[in-house]
Amino acid sequence: MMNVLQIVMDGSMMGCVYGLIALGLSLIFGVMNIVNFAHGDFVMLSMYFTFFVGTFASVDAVFTPLVTMPLLFGFGVLTYYLIIQKTLRERFVVQVAVTVGLMSFLRAFTQLVWQARPRALPFSIIQGNFPLGDLTVLLSRLVSAAVSILAILGIYLFLNRTWLGRSIRAASDDVDAASLMGVNFRWTYAVAFGLGSALTALAGGLLMSFQQVDPTMGLRFGLLSWCILALSGLGSILGLLISGIIVGVAESLAMGLWDPRARSLIVYLIFVLILWLRPRGLFGRK
Amino acid sequence: MSAPRINRRQITIAAIAIAAALLPLGFLNNQYRLILLTTVMLYGVLTSAWNLIGGMAGQLDLSAGAYLGLGAFTTGTLLMRWNVTPWIGMFLGGLVAVAFAFLVGFPLFRFRIREVWYALSSSALVVVLQVVFLLWKDVGGSMERMLPYHAFSWYHLRFGTYLPYYYLLLVLLLATLLTGYYVKTRRLGYYLLALGDNEDAAEVLGVDARGSKLKALVIYAFIVGITGGVYTCIYGYLHTSFFSPTISMEVAILGIVGGMGIIYGPLMATVILVTGREFLRASLGGGLQSLYLAIYAVVLILIALLRPRGIASLISDYLAKRRSALNKERS
Repeated sequence: MMNVLQIVMDGSMMGCVYGLIALGLSLIFGVMNIVNFAHGDFVMLSMYFTFFVGTFASVDAVFTPLVTMPLLFGFGVLTYYLIIQKTLRERFVVQVAVTVGLMSFLRAFTQLVWQARPRALPFSIIQGNFPLGDLTVLLSRLVSAAVSILAILGIYLFLNRTWLGRSIRAASDDVDAASLMGVNFRWTYAVAFGLGSALTALAGGLLMSFQQVDPTMGLRFGLLSWCILALSGLGSILGLLISGIIVGVAESLAMGLWDPRARSLIVYLIFVLILWLRPRGLFGRK
Repeated sequence: MSAPRINRRQITIAAIAIAAALLPLGFLNNQYRLILLTTVMLYGVLTSAWNLIGGMAGQLDLSAGAYLGLGAFTTGTLLMRWNVTPWIGMFLGGLVAVAFAFLVGFPLFRFRIREVWYALSSSALVVVLQVVFLLWKDVGGSMERMLPYHAFSWYHLRFGTYLPYYYLLLVLLLATLLTGYYVKTRRLGYYLLALGDNEDAAEVLGVDARGSKLKALVIYAFIVGITGGVYTCIYGYLHTSFFSPTISMEVAILGIVGGMGIIYGPLMATVILVTGREFLRASLGGGLQSLYLAIYAVVLILIALLRPRGIASLISDYLAKRRSALNKERS
């Protein structure tokens, strides 16, 4: 029983980071209706940037987002202007072709620069653990979960309280009406894409404090965040966090009680079932 | 007026088929070139089959790896356990793939899962199958399972050279292309093209969306399943990595940049791009191991951006222009 509680706790803390990654995707898909298959590879790229900054300047993984977030924001904006913008008016298969191309490019690029072997940072100040009753709390997971929740809250406030955030939401509801109200939708889209990418940098920094990175892990994060998005539905930020936690818990239950390799099985079964049974998601607005 | 045009088209097709049949005879001593040709042929079959569900019906299917793996595991396991010839095994593999496609496709289309969600759930199914076979130790498991070695055996479909596989795949490719042409002239083909164009409008006009998509999916799964049987004989082993999300995505991408719904489009893209990629791999391979993949990815992105309707639209546009010019001359 204790074991299950421990698994649920670890899984839910991991789920908060997943929620953060999915929030990035939700900004991109929910606002622009852009099907970004490369989102998971943005996470992978961020983790490599974290590794680079961490080893180059010998900074702790937790502080690297200070550098990698602006970097990924710039990368996202650049990606938007260079390739995404041209596909806005195309059929969605063209977007898929372009973003899958981007995905294999990022994979090849990271492999070219950092080789195929897994990379990890040597230490982090948030390593270690402390007991909580009979349970053990991993400090790195706790900090990651806390930072993720704070970041999700920050995005929530940004979208609701600032003009730019409101214009992003307006553009997601009705681009034409928002344009008439003076929203420059191209700029708004670029910001949303950059912001979505920057969130992967934060998640990448947190993940690298307790995990290693290899060039093929992008697909897993990509499908994971689409799964969370499907589970939550569009338009609810709190829903994303809860869905992230559900997925995280399901994943670690599968790993802890069944077989470590079964984790993707459970996640994708949830994904397929939710699409069949409740396509709007649990918290969907549209 | 239309009779000579069709004749000329048939001549073109026959000429290309004969050229493809004669091509490997130039490289008989070079197994590397032969496996290159075989690889292109293999991808050609997969992308041409994908064209039915992806190109014509517009359903972005990313599950080629699932059917490929099922076909491979059925054929390989039957051969290893009970010495069943792959000639039977590959058709049984095709049927297993069809059964799976039906099981998956029925609810997917029933619950109207479309566009990105269809693409993602089909991609997820590949990974699900991969894990299932990884956990199913009697058939899959984490180790490769080797097929029995035979220097040249038609019964076991195992050869010391790639040449017979090339011809086998060429026959499969021609069968796939003919199926494509056949379907395109039937009611099913018109239904599929209408669905690919605008699903809602097609349904309003009375197109049976569920049935048509399911038929296309099943034909596609059958061809890919058979190809899976050949695939395992070519490489001589079975492994869960056959359920590859990467191959599945690649098939779809080649189908998209080739030109969706144009029968020869995916094949054209495959011949040009896969050959180019393998050429790059061979010439850049030594020093910078994944540079060829980066270049290949950039080329894919550029084609998708500059020619959203695909490479084959170059030819179809040219033909249409010439036809209208001819018509003008006549009138």
